Amino acid sequence: MKSIPKLIRRFLGILLLSTVLFLMLNIGFLVAFTMRHTPNSRPWSAAQEAADAMTEANGTWTISPEMEQKLQSEQVWAVYIDNETGQALWHSGNLPEEIPLQYTASQIASLTRGYLSDYPTFTGTGEKGLMILGYPKESFWKHMYASWDFQMIESVPRTILTVLGANIILVLVIYLGANSGLLRSVKPIAEGIQKLPTGEAVSLKERGILSELAADINQTSEMLQTQKYLLMKKEAARANWIAGVSHDIRTPLSMVMGYADQLSESKGLNEEEKKKAEVIVRQSRRIKNLINDLNLASKLEYNMQPLSMKQENAVAIVRQVVVDFMNMDIEQRYPIQWETPEDLNVCLIRADRELLMRAVSNLIQNSMNHNEEGCTIYVSVTETEKNCEICVEDDGRGVTDEELKKLTAAPHYMVCDSSATEQRHGLGLLIVRQIARSHGGRIVISHGSHNGFGVRIILPGEGKPPAQRD
Amino acid sequence: MSAEYIKKKRILLVDDEPELREMVVSILKEDGFEKIETAGSVREALDAAQRFSPDLAILDVMLPDGNGFELMKSLKKSGDYPVLFLTARGEDEDKFRGFGLGADDYVVKPFLPRELLFRVSAILRRCYKEEEPLVKLHACSIDLERAEVVKNGERILLTAKEYELLSALYRNAGRIVTIDALCEAAWGDNPYGYENSLMAHIRRIREKIEENPSKPVSLVTVKGLGYRLNTEK
Repeated sequence: MKSIPKLIRRFLGILLLSTVLFLMLNIGFLVAFTMRHTPNSRPWSAAQEAADAMTEANGTWTISPEMEQKLQSEQVWAVYIDNETGQALWHSGNLPEEIPLQYTASQIASLTRGYLSDYPTFTGTGEKGLMILGYPKESFWKHMYASWDFQMIESVPRTILTVLGANIILVLVIYLGANSGLLRSVKPIAEGIQKLPTGEAVSLKERGILSELAADINQTSEMLQTQKYLLMKKEAARANWIAGVSHDIRTPLSMVMGYADQLSESKGLNEEEKKKAEVIVRQSRRIKNLINDLNLASKLEYNMQPLSMKQENAVAIVRQVVVDFMNMDIEQRYPIQWETPEDLNVCLIRADRELLMRAVSNLIQNSMNHNEEGCTIYVSVTETEKNCEICVEDDGRGVTDEELKKLTAAPHYMVCDSSATEQRHGLGLLIVRQIARSHGGRIVISHGSHNGFGVRIILPGEGKPPAQRD
Repeated sequence: MSAEYIKKKRILLVDDEPELREMVVSILKEDGFEKIETAGSVREALDAAQRFSPDLAILDVMLPDGNGFELMKSLKKSGDYPVLFLTARGEDEDKFRGFGLGADDYVVKPFLPRELLFRVSAILRRCYKEEEPLVKLHACSIDLERAEVVKNGERILLTAKEYELLSALYRNAGRIVTIDALCEAAWGDNPYGYENSLMAHIRRIREKIEENPSKPVSLVTVKGLGYRLNTEK
């Protein structure tokens, strides 16, 4: 969401900057241009120079030849009049006819300020008289009326600063107004787009300039919601289907198991018949475990398994599972070695007790299932800096490197979308992996440190328990 | 494995599947239970309960005219007896709901007969205590009723904690009880950090019950995991 205001700000910033740049360029250009043309005090100084170039000899006034030539080249006529009488003491040869040779004070004032017979005239004061230069018509524009209030001139710097400040503020207001206006119309659109990937339903008001965009976003959101709903419905249907089937199998299987078990201990049957009944019991148990696993795996896969997460002591949970197996009197064939460090009695984690017990017993059962000739099972809980690690290993026949790779990398058929034709392994490990994942952890499958098969469940720890009590 | 007195207890079995009822009855009868009444629906169950006043009810969760949890509530109004659920829904949710409502235990279908019998006997023994028996050990006997150890004709008193620990061990006689379960029995929930105290108490118990406390035969340690009480027949 931060990118949109940034974009608008950058865009308006560039606009603002270019405006200022243009303004400055124009001002600079204007200044340069006028600087080149303004100093049109040139005719004034020429008049002054001409006045200075006048010399008197025996009551006759003459101008220096250089000056005369210069005036001639510019087609300027000149009259030098006496200060006292107003009579022309000297005039240039190119004096037009309409130019008088006698001047009154008011005429002088008028020609100084303006024109004489449309000739722009300029004056320069000489030793005894006044030099009047007449430039060709329409060569200069004279403006002699300008006069300013002194106070105004005095406050020019302040006025300029004020105007400049007002301008800047105005530009800023326009900038902010445009910025917020643009943001206001873009913001809901941007927010809507941002919400889309989170899967939330988006409903924007379809108003303003961007109403079409808003409508498109609403439509997209609606489509996504429908798809999500359909997918969830499908997943729920699948999980429910599995739950339903497994439920319906349970009651008939109870009877198969129950009666077969009774038969296996019946006095009326001979040994061979009892053995057959035992096989029925054993196989029924396999079916029972299978439907339990299938149900749990599908629920975990579709996030339909309710988790009851509490602070738990991982050591206590694993200890209980191990003791349950030991109490089941399997110790002759599958002795369990408890390898947890002696000083580790508490390792706190957030966990669903039942599920974690299920994961650990799955691993122990797994070792037993794959080593019919018996093996030693090594169980440990260790605490690392941040994690709690539960390790179940055996010294049984183990797996090849290739099988290990497959177990680690290949998806289980339950969660695989292509039809799996390869040999399928049980659901035990898949469930362990799913349980670890639902606890924010993971599993590592290896040969273990006893040349067999080993799985480590790594779960995030919850820190230290309160201090030791007496 | 079950004591004689619990075989005399009256059991009400409620399940909508007649064949399953038949099987459970045969399992119970084979084990020596005599007084069993069955029902196939909530209505029948309520009738039977009035007539029969059972000591234990075994209920299915899904019944044709209601569910087992509701039935349990109604049953518990007329009499306070334990309830064991027999469920085809193995979901944890259901288990917790059952326990929350005051169910005493549950068995998930399919089950083995001995599994069911074990649960039934355990509940009955827990709820209808005979006089606490005299527990015979290698070097002494324990009178749990009076919290006393009788060793070489001498009576030694047990402290409260020692009594709790020995009771927990006795309830699981012959089986390993984890350190954590023992701490919980003696100190209540979340018993973190009591491991050393537990060791001290076990040592003191051994001094009272063992012939040679440094070479225990009745109360043995399973290293790192827990303890086991070996009783003598």
